[in-house]
Parts: sequence; structure tokens; C-alpha cells
Amino acid sequence: MRKMILLALACVSLEGCAHLGVQPWEREVLARDDMQLDANALDTAFDDHIYFSKEGTSGGRGFGGGGCGCN
Amino acid sequence: MANNDRKIGAALTAATCGLLGIAPAASVAAEPEPRWDIDSAFLYYGESDGRVQDMSLSAHATRDFGDERLLGFDVSVDTLTGASPNGAIASGSPQTFTSPSGRATYETPAGEIPLDDTFHDTRFALNGSWSQPFARLYTVNAGLGFSSEFDYQHIGANLGLTRDFNQRNTTLSMAMAYASDSIKPVGGLRQPLSQMGDAVEEDDEEGIEGGGGSDSKNVLDVLLGVTQVLGRHTVLRVNLSYSDSSGYLTDPYKILSVVDPVTGEPVARTPSPGADGPGNVYLYESRPDSRRKEGLYAELRHDFSGKVLQVGYRYSTDDWEVDSHTLESRLRLPFGESGYLEPHVRYYQQTAASFYRYSLPTGPLPEFASADARLSDMNAVTVGLKYGRETAGGNEWNARLEFYQQKAKAPAEFLIGNQVGNTQMPDFNAVILQFGYHFKL
Repeated sequence: MRKMILLALACVSLEGCAHLGVQPWEREVLARDDMQLDANALDTAFDDHIYFSKEGTSGGRGFGGGGCGCN
Repeated sequence: MANNDRKIGAALTAATCGLLGIAPAASVAAEPEPRWDIDSAFLYYGESDGRVQDMSLSAHATRDFGDERLLGFDVSVDTLTGASPNGAIASGSPQTFTSPSGRATYETPAGEIPLDDTFHDTRFALNGSWSQPFARLYTVNAGLGFSSEFDYQHIGANLGLTRDFNQRNTTLSMAMAYASDSIKPVGGLRQPLSQMGDAVEEDDEEGIEGGGGSDSKNVLDVLLGVTQVLGRHTVLRVNLSYSDSSGYLTDPYKILSVVDPVTGEPVARTPSPGADGPGNVYLYESRPDSRRKEGLYAELRHDFSGKVLQVGYRYSTDDWEVDSHTLESRLRLPFGESGYLEPHVRYYQQTAASFYRYSLPTGPLPEFASADARLSDMNAVTVGLKYGRETAGGNEWNARLEFYQQKAKAPAEFLIGNQVGNTQMPDFNAVILQFGYHFKL
């Protein structure tokens, strides 16, 4: 886990990211609905619920929409 | 003409305010009133061989109050029926089990994986959330949620903070969620690794109901995330997550077969005279009362001139020794004049929990044991296709069809005698069918 955190920190360190990205007027594509990271929110919520009740691990993307006994 | 001038004036005011980053006064606002954005869907989930069937209705509604202030609601109702593996192994002879209520028995034919078909449940879930900027470059969001089932109640709260950097090309987020769940199993709580007894008459006051009760579970989740714009066509998100569950983590309805340590065949049991009950020895499962999970999740979206590729990967590890890898991808392709097609594939793989057992040989019992296939070695594949189409009014309807196949495998070291080469796991196929409508009010 420690390695994972270090790796992630290295990837996301603000210094490293400073040269990445676009100018505000270059966001035409990024602003499209289908480019949003939560574009499939409802599908994802259904899927998370199904896989939560059928597999041994869950979560990671965000917080799920409520608990479940899920026998 | 005067009317047109007013419209142009209002549009200019709005544009100016937008550039200055201030909200226009209500009297000159040209933007439409705050509106609801509603994503709704019906979902059918059905497993092969008469196993679990679930029908669900969900809606996700967002109301924009301007200035990036958003109110959100999620509401979901689902109803579940069908049979679920109870954890016992298949046997060469028919098997009898006492149902969870403790009032009746059910039978499994020889050679088949035992399934408990007494489950019927309706689940209702509601979540509300609020999100707004609270200082330059900062956004705060908070939510509350609850869900209710016949034997399970959940209540949870979450709080998150994001901060933008690098001309909003980098966003860091931090969030926490806490949930408190209560479990009230049908037929009461069972002592871990206690033996499944005979069915008890309805009017017997000494019945299983007497051993009722409920227990609770608390879950703390922490998430650290970064979203990075990599270019005009690419955005990346990486999350690190930590989850700590404590309390009652056992599945009250799952059992294990007790078997002969040499042959691996179920050990026989005789019901009390005149009573109806199991003909073999079965023990209720036992899981640790805490679980700590850590996860890494990464998702990339890239646009290829109108086609959008989404690739996600998740790694999860926990102190139950369930390690999993999930790889998932969607490709959204424009189709026809105002539609799209979106193929979806997902691959999942996990290792068995340290206390997973295919069965329990007679002799000293381990402290923890579960034969739940969801805690065994497993892999699963999903393939699907979604079609969506925008209406003339700017709304969208869509349909999704997916197939899910799960294959579990008991680790070889837990197979005894005849079980070797003769192992049966409750593998299944399922179909997922969804119809959605996305509209504004």
C-alpha cells in the first residue's frame, strides 16, 4: 500500500502536473457531456449495486448509494 | 424590435456577469430558471436456473441553483426474488435444510448445488446531496442517505472537499463517508458455527424466534482523488480509497457442510423423533468482525474525434486477503443522426478470503469459516451494449443489454477426498436489461 501511495503521489504531484492541461478556451471537447467522468452515473450505480452483492470487493470509484444486506 | 433589444441586452448582461464570475441580479437574468435534470431507469437483473431475479426503478435528480450550487437526490426501489446458494456442497443424496425462518424445510435433489429459494426482499433507498463552492477554487459537498430492507437498515453520511489547481486542470478531492447499518436476520441471529437444527412449529414458544435479535455494522470510508486534464481530448482520474468495516460482517443465512475428513462426503445427522430437519450436519458461517480494505482506482477518458473511450482499472486488497483486479472499458460511438452505441466490457478477478472453506472436516473447528462463493477464488466477465438516442426536445432515451458470467473456484488445499475432481461451485450467468430516460423539467 505504501508503494501505491508513493506512486500515486508521484503521479499527481502538483509540480509534475503543472505543465499538463489546457487553456480555458481549449475546453470545447472536455466540456461535452460524454467527456464527464460521471457521464454514466446511473449505469455505474446499478453496476456497483450488482457487483457489490455478487463479488467479494466493491467501491473505489466513489461512495455507493446506500448499504445492502445482499444475500 | 424592443423585445429583441431586451433579449440581446439580457444576454449581454448574462455573458458579462459570466465573464466576471458574478451572478446576475434576478431582474435581468436571461438564463432559464433553475431546472431539474432527471436521469431515470428501469433495470432487470436475472440469473440463470431460477436464481436471483431483481427488478429496480431508479432516478437521479439534480437541481442547479446557479453558481455551481447543486442539489441532488437519488431514489431507488428494487424487489428481489429467487434462489441463492446457501453454502452447502452438492451431495450424491438429496439434502434437507431448515429455512432461515426456522419454521419449514426445503430440499435439494442429489447432485445439485443447494439453493435456498425462500428469499423475497424489497429495498428502498434514498440519498440527498448538496454541493457548492465555498471559497475561490474550493467546492464542498455533503450527503445523507438511507436504505431499508426487510432485514437490513442503512443510514450514512458523507462529506467531501475539492480544490482546483493549474487553471482548473488539476482537481484534488478528499471525502469521507460513515455508515451505520443494522441487521435483523429472519429467524434471528445465529451463534457462529452453531449447527442448523430441526424446523420448529409455529406455536412453539421455544422456537428460533426466541433466539432473535439484531446486530450492527459500521463502515468508515476515506477517499483521496485527483482529476487531471492531460490534453484537449483526455482526462484522467486516480483515487486511493480506504475502508474500515466493523461489527456484524457475517452472512446470517450462509452455512457450511461438515464432511468426513477422508472421503469429503457430508456427515449424516438424524432429526429428532417426529421433527422435520436436516439429514446432514451444517454449521452457520463465521466471519471476523472487522475488515480493512485499501484500493486504487484509475479512469481515463479520451476523445477520438467524437468517439469516447473510457478505460478503468481498480485494484483492491484487504485484511481478509481478498485481492481483486477489475478492468473495464466503454467505447461511445456516434450512431445515426442523434444516437450512439456504447459497447462495454468488464473483467473481474479475486483471490479467496483467508477463512474461505469449501466444507469443514469433522474435528477441531477454525475460528472463522465461510463457504460463500463470493469469498472464494473467482473471475467474472461482463459484455454489453448500450444504445442511446437524443429526442428533438434535447432529452435522451437509452437501452442497455449486458451478459454477466461468474466462475468461482475453491482453492485446491481445501478439497477433501471425493471433492477433488468432483468440486461443484455455484457458477451462474446473468442478464442485465435496462431502459433509461434522461430529461429536464
